[in-house]
Amino acid sequence: MKILIIEDEKIIREELQELLLKNGYEVFLLTDFTNVLPIDPDKYDLILLDINLPNLNGEFLLKEIRKTSNIPIIMLTSRVDEMDEVLSITNGADDYITKPYNPIILLLRIQNIFKRINSNLDYLKYKNISFDLKSGVIKKNNLKVELTKNEMIIFNYLLTNKNKIISRDELMTILWNNNEYINDNSLTVNISRLRKKLDDLKSDVVIETRKGCGYILS
Amino acid sequence: MKLSKYFKDKLGLILIYFFNYFIIISLLIAFKSSISLIIAISLLGLINFLLIFFLSYFKKKNFYDNLLNNLELLDKKYLILETLSKPSFYEGELLFNILYDINKSMIENVNIYKNSVADFKDYVEMWIHEVKIPISSLVLMMHNKKNIDKRFIQEIRKLDNYIDQVLFYVRSNYTEQDFLFKKISLNKIISQVAIKNIDDLRLNKVNLEVLVSDIVITTDPKWLEFIINQIVNNSIKYKKENNSYIKIYSKSYQDRVSLFIEDNGIGIPRKDLSSVFNKSFTGENGRNTTKSTGMGLYIAKKLCMKLGHKIEISSCEGEGTTLIITFNLDSFYQIEN
Repeated sequence: MKILIIEDEKIIREELQELLLKNGYEVFLLTDFTNVLPIDPDKYDLILLDINLPNLNGEFLLKEIRKTSNIPIIMLTSRVDEMDEVLSITNGADDYITKPYNPIILLLRIQNIFKRINSNLDYLKYKNISFDLKSGVIKKNNLKVELTKNEMIIFNYLLTNKNKIISRDELMTILWNNNEYINDNSLTVNISRLRKKLDDLKSDVVIETRKGCGYILS
Repeated sequence: MKLSKYFKDKLGLILIYFFNYFIIISLLIAFKSSISLIIAISLLGLINFLLIFFLSYFKKKNFYDNLLNNLELLDKKYLILETLSKPSFYEGELLFNILYDINKSMIENVNIYKNSVADFKDYVEMWIHEVKIPISSLVLMMHNKKNIDKRFIQEIRKLDNYIDQVLFYVRSNYTEQDFLFKKISLNKIISQVAIKNIDDLRLNKVNLEVLVSDIVITTDPKWLEFIINQIVNNSIKYKKENNSYIKIYSKSYQDRVSLFIEDNGIGIPRKDLSSVFNKSFTGENGRNTTKSTGMGLYIAKKLCMKLGHKIEISSCEGEGTTLIITFNLDSFYQIEN
C-alpha cells in the first residue's frame, strides 16, 4: 500500500514516515511546496493531507485532487474546529484527524479505509482455520468455537496484522475505540481465554507472547 | 416631568412676570384708568401667563417623559438615542445633538476594545494552532521510540489539556457564535475522550465503565468533548488510592437525555460544592491534593450554557462526585439544523 504524506512540518513528516514504514506501508513524501500540483493520484493508494501548508491550503488541494480522483484522503489539522471538519468532509475527505493524534488511532483509521475499499470479506482464512467476522465463530473442519465481543475484536486485529508484534497498548486502544473499556487485567484474561479456545480447536494458529513487546499471531 | 418641580424651576421668571404685572396695574391705578380696563388687562395678563406656562410645559413634558420612559424600559440604556425623534424645541434639540455626539464617540471607543479583543482572540487561536505542532511531533516521536517511559506521554497530555483550556476559555468568552451544532452519537464522543485519557487511566489504575445507550444528540462535538474531558480529568486527579472507577451512564426521558459521570474519588466538601463552577475556585481539594487552576469546571459550565446544555454536580465528601449533563431533545435544535 502506497501512502503519500503532504505535511510541511519536517519532524512530523519524518516521524509519520517512520510510523507507516514500521507498519508495512510504502511511503512517499512531498517536500517541495512551491509547485505541488499536479499530483498524480494513480501513483498512490492513500493521501495524508495537512490543512495548513505554505503557499497553498490543504482544502484547496483536496478540491483539486477530488476533481479527477477518488483516492482516499485523510485530513490532518491542528485546528480544533467543527467547521473545518464539516468543510473537509463536504469537500470529499474520507476522514479528518486533529493533532496531536494518537498514532494507534491514525493507523487504525488508515486500516479501516483500506478495509472498506478492498474487501467486503465475511471470512478471514489463515492456515487451517476460518474466522467468521459477523458471528465471531472460528471453524476448523467440523469443530468450531464462538468468541465473545472482546475476543472477536482482539482476534480480528491480530489476524489482520498477523506475523507482526502487536503491543498491549495497541490492543487496548483498539478495544476502547470499539467502546469496550476493559482494563489491563481483563485484557490478559481475554488473551488467555482466546488461546484456550484456539487450543480446543487444535488449530495451527497460536498467539505468542513477546515479553515487554506484546503479542504475535502466527 | 413633574409640574411642581417645573414650577419651582421657573419661579424666578414667574416672579418677574408678576412683578411687571403689578407695576402695570399700579401705573393704571395711578393714572386713574377705569376699573373695567384694569380688570380686562388683569384677566388678559393671567390668561397670557397660563397659556405661555402650560404650552411650554407640555411641549417639554412630552419629550422628557418619553425619554425617561424609554430609558426605564431599555435593557441596554446606551441605545436610548435610537428610540428618540428630534424634538421641536431648542433645548431639546441641543440635548439630542449632545446625546448623538456622545453616542458616536462611545461607539468608536467600544470598537477599539472590540477590535483589540478580537485581535487577541485571533492571536491566541493562531498560537494554539502553532503550539499543537511541536506537541504532535513529540507524541509521534515518543510512539516511534521503543519502551519510552509512559510518564512522558502523560505530561504531554497535561500540556495539551492546559492548552485546550486556554482555547476554550477564549471561545467561551469572546465570541458570539463559534460553535456548530451537529447530530452525533454520545458514545462516539465518550470513546474519543476515553482514548485521549487511556494512558492516564491505565497508569492511575482507574477503571472506566461506560453504559450509555445508543443516543444521538445535537451539540458541537468538539466543545462537548472538551467538557467531558475536563470532568474525566478531575475524576482522575481527585481519585482515591485504591479501586478507583469512573462510571459513565445515561438516562433518557421523553424530551431530554442526561449523561452521568460518576467517580468514587475523594469527593467535595459540602461548603465548597456550590462554588465549583466559579472562576478560579480551587476549594479545599484544589489546595490540598494537587495544584489546581480552578478553571476547568468554570469553562465547562460556560460552554454548556452557550450550547444550551445543563450541567449539575452532586458530591459526598469521601465517597465520590457525579457530574450530570442534560441535553434537550426538543424541536428547537431540529429547526436550527
